[in-house]
Amino acid sequence: MADSLLSSPGLTTYDILSRHGVSRRDFLSFCAITAASLGLEAQQVPAVVEALETKPRLPVIWLHGLECTCCSESFIRSSHPIAQDVVLNMISLDYDDTLQAAAGHQVEQIRKDLIEQAKRGETEYVLAVEGNAPTKDGGVYCTVAGETFLDVLRETAEHAKFVIAWGSCACNGCVQAAAPNPTGARPVHECITGKPIVKVPGCPPIAEVMTGVLTYVLTFGRLPELDRVGRPKMFYKQRLHDKCLRRSFFDAGQFVESWDDDGARKGWCLYKMGCRGPTTYNSCATFKWNGGVSWPIGSGHGCIGCSEENFWDDGPFYSRLAKTPLPGIEATPQKVGIALTAAAGVGIAAHLAALAIKRGRAAATENKAKEA
Amino acid sequence: MSQITAPYAAAPAEPIFKQELVWQWPIRLFHWLNALAFVVLFLTGLYISDPIFSPAGEAYGNQTMGYVRMTHFIAAAVFTVGFFWRICWFWLGNRYARSGFPYVWRARWWRNLVRQTWDYLRLDFGHVHMGHNALAGLAYTLVPVIGGWVMILTGLALFGQSNPDGFWDSLCGWVIPMLGGGLRTHMWHHLVAWLFLVFAIVHVYIVVLDGTQQRNGLISSMISGRKFYPADEKPGSHDED
Repeated sequence: MADSLLSSPGLTTYDILSRHGVSRRDFLSFCAITAASLGLEAQQVPAVVEALETKPRLPVIWLHGLECTCCSESFIRSSHPIAQDVVLNMISLDYDDTLQAAAGHQVEQIRKDLIEQAKRGETEYVLAVEGNAPTKDGGVYCTVAGETFLDVLRETAEHAKFVIAWGSCACNGCVQAAAPNPTGARPVHECITGKPIVKVPGCPPIAEVMTGVLTYVLTFGRLPELDRVGRPKMFYKQRLHDKCLRRSFFDAGQFVESWDDDGARKGWCLYKMGCRGPTTYNSCATFKWNGGVSWPIGSGHGCIGCSEENFWDDGPFYSRLAKTPLPGIEATPQKVGIALTAAAGVGIAAHLAALAIKRGRAAATENKAKEA
Repeated sequence: MSQITAPYAAAPAEPIFKQELVWQWPIRLFHWLNALAFVVLFLTGLYISDPIFSPAGEAYGNQTMGYVRMTHFIAAAVFTVGFFWRICWFWLGNRYARSGFPYVWRARWWRNLVRQTWDYLRLDFGHVHMGHNALAGLAYTLVPVIGGWVMILTGLALFGQSNPDGFWDSLCGWVIPMLGGGLRTHMWHHLVAWLFLVFAIVHVYIVVLDGTQQRNGLISSMISGRKFYPADEKPGSHDED
């Protein structure tokens, strides 16, 4: 099966599906489910059908840089659509060193061939990047097949149609870019220029969000509508806070104060336990995780804001406010503020005391002068 | 008791002090609305950042955080409107509406700043100004003006977070990625709020001290608008010199 797929460039998704005995009826229902998972209106289903019937499947090169592969782990657990459908039917995943069967020189040859073909204008491909590139010391801290990942990334991105940045590593830098960032890890958009990039942050991103983004770009051949920082609006338009099942407790002012208190048992809001829901844009509250089983806040733990910039440095996770970035001061702004206020009080008291001493001395000198 | 003679015996034929309108009514209105807004914003802000009350009963019967946030937003609207009103009055008002402003390109402002600072360091009070002296002007510019911009921009950006693409997010949402994310924006909003409190404490102290020592009507001037000056001087003759 895999053989026929790899050797069939130019085939559409419908071609592949019908070759495998999928009926027209099943194909149409597949399109409807896909449209629904993309958040499209019912009238858009024919557009999905047409795209999957007429457009040749886009080849995808999936690179792995400085990362932990949690994005891939998440991706293969997608249930709507299931990853198997995406990988085997919808896209032509030509290069992914984690998932593919080939190894060694063959693998690199596939990537180089695809780049050559794109250079000659014979094909187009999408570059999906998991992880980021260390830039310090010429990028030696991450090498793939004898080349630095920075070079691989730039070489592959140059002829890509567009770039998908998987996960917080590729979007924001994530843990390997945490202060003091010893390897100079830089997110994808700081390593390459002049390519449209869609950012799919999260550590990892939700499986259905990943397959949803892939499905969208492959169905329509363009990037979905992006927000200010380059995330697809259809999945990152709302804060967890605004769709949270504990939101009513937030508005009521009922908060968990410690992990085993009465409020925790009653499912109150986790705001005071450092929940990052109020500043985190993601689809966790909608799609949940593991096929809709649960999600962090649903199971009683605050959000750590893994899809937000700098979440790794804005600790601690169990405190409401980020530490002040002032050098040498490891404290929340509240502590800094109280210290400043106390300093102002001490300063005023000292000033009054100094004034009193000065007046006293002046009066003493005056009295002496009178006595003399 | 026998000493009570000269000052109370008869008013001098010529007045020793004259008074001038320094703070026009828009300034005074702004000042008190701003003070009120600050107190409300700071107290509600403290609650929002660290909610201490925990109402009993079911969530549907309570709206504590909701009402506190609403109050915060209303006070923020008052603060913001007042802020821009005061900025307009910088040009529309009398000469004292601009007094003390850091005209860093003018030598006179620097001279006034150095002299006033030196006077304070010697535990003196400096010259009596009708408007703000340069040091006061600098302090007002640093905390309520620049700090006010920070509070308004970060506040509206955070306010707009619930509705990306909405009006407030389109207007101020760029602040959040600039500051490195929503949580850091909260942090700056919070830190600068404390600077406002420190400013308010020092402000009240200096006004009370200067007002009681110099007896030129400094304290009452924010209600009456008027300050006193020696009859043999031109009003505001020490301002910005």
